Amino acid sequence: MTRATHPVGPLAAPRLRALAALPFVLALATYLLLLSLWSDRLPDTLATHFAVGDGGRADGFTGRTAFAVLGVGLLVGLGTGWTVLVRRAALWGAWSTAGLVGALFVLLLRANLDATDPAQVVSPLTGLALAAAAAAVFALVGWALASLVPADEPAARPGATEGPRLTLGASEVAGWSRATASRPLTVLSALALAAVPAGLLLAPWPGALFALLGLVIAVPGLALARVRVTVDRRGVTVRPSLVPRPRVRVPLDEVAGATVRELDTAAVLRDFGGWGYRVRADRTGVVLHTGETLVVRRGSGREFAVTVPDAATAAALLNTLAERHGRV
Amino acid sequence: MLFRVDPASAVPLGDQIAACVRGALADGSAAPGERLPAARELADSLGVNVHTVLRGYQRLREEGLIELRRGRGAVIVPGATAPDRARLVSRLREAATEARELGLTDEEFLALARTSLD
Repeated sequence: MTRATHPVGPLAAPRLRALAALPFVLALATYLLLLSLWSDRLPDTLATHFAVGDGGRADGFTGRTAFAVLGVGLLVGLGTGWTVLVRRAALWGAWSTAGLVGALFVLLLRANLDATDPAQVVSPLTGLALAAAAAAVFALVGWALASLVPADEPAARPGATEGPRLTLGASEVAGWSRATASRPLTVLSALALAAVPAGLLLAPWPGALFALLGLVIAVPGLALARVRVTVDRRGVTVRPSLVPRPRVRVPLDEVAGATVRELDTAAVLRDFGGWGYRVRADRTGVVLHTGETLVVRRGSGREFAVTVPDAATAAALLNTLAERHGRV
Repeated sequence: MLFRVDPASAVPLGDQIAACVRGALADGSAAPGERLPAARELADSLGVNVHTVLRGYQRLREEGLIELRRGRGAVIVPGATAPDRARLVSRLREAATEARELGLTDEEFLALARTSLD
């Protein structure tokens, strides 16, 4: 079978990333240009924070060099984040972020222009409205530019499923289920949980209430530390071993193919950026350890991965079920 | 662990489920000490009655292959001998089926089994 279109990724990604980086480059260039053009007219200390009341009079100050470094750092940081994580439908977000931040910095510079005493600098609330307007205009531009990027691949047709198979009789029903666990996460979560009563009992009040923060680590940690992966007529489901919720499920309708991948530490860091429940631009994963990983390709082109032993059987069954589902 | 049942088969569904666990244990795709899916969950997964699954689990417990504990669910017995035991049980069941096909009564089969112990 030949397919006319390739999945989004290798072809569309560079253009999309370039378009996401562009507004930040523009904002950065404008900012640096204004800094150098106005270098004679800007005071050494800039007013950078303004009271909401009192007509927007300055109440916070930053040195000129620090302000320049801060602006560049913020724009570069935000720009890098958007460039790495951008998706086609969210391109307008990159543009509006760059528009808002860029406009705020430019307006701040303009307010400080020719100021002799930073404390006298005034930035009325209309500045914020101007920045919001700039963000809106940039958002529109970004939204319009998204049409330059090829659309995500439409849902795969039934029969497009690829990968290993299992022989299943016509009247046979099959399900696959396997528990998997992360020992470091179990230990960490158990420690966090144990710290809660210890902190509540031993630490002086009311600071001891901070011990409750341990629950913020322990509860999701324990939910993720031991999970059960199921492949059956409903699709792939990952849920905590002991309780049925919360669960992550890829319904059989959305399964375009399943394969097995061997993940090593380098691959985990490169593709998922660490262990746990990972959400990246083009993939989601429940990554609890290295080794055998069930990788499910969705009709939308996104991937769902879960590290689980005996993933080969799971992938074969999932492909077989998906194919049968498409046929019936 | 892969569970596959055929509602069209003459073999009771509970026995088919038990056979899946035995087979998985014998071929190494299930390990001693591993926890089986909860009966209700497996029933949901396969679209069979929960009592059918429990019948299968009960059979495995009688064969000494799993432990059923309240609140902990079904766990394959720990210990390195579990896979061998699963293979032995499978062969015994095959022998029993063969004996029935040959027309032996249950007593005759048991008597035959006893002679092989001497």
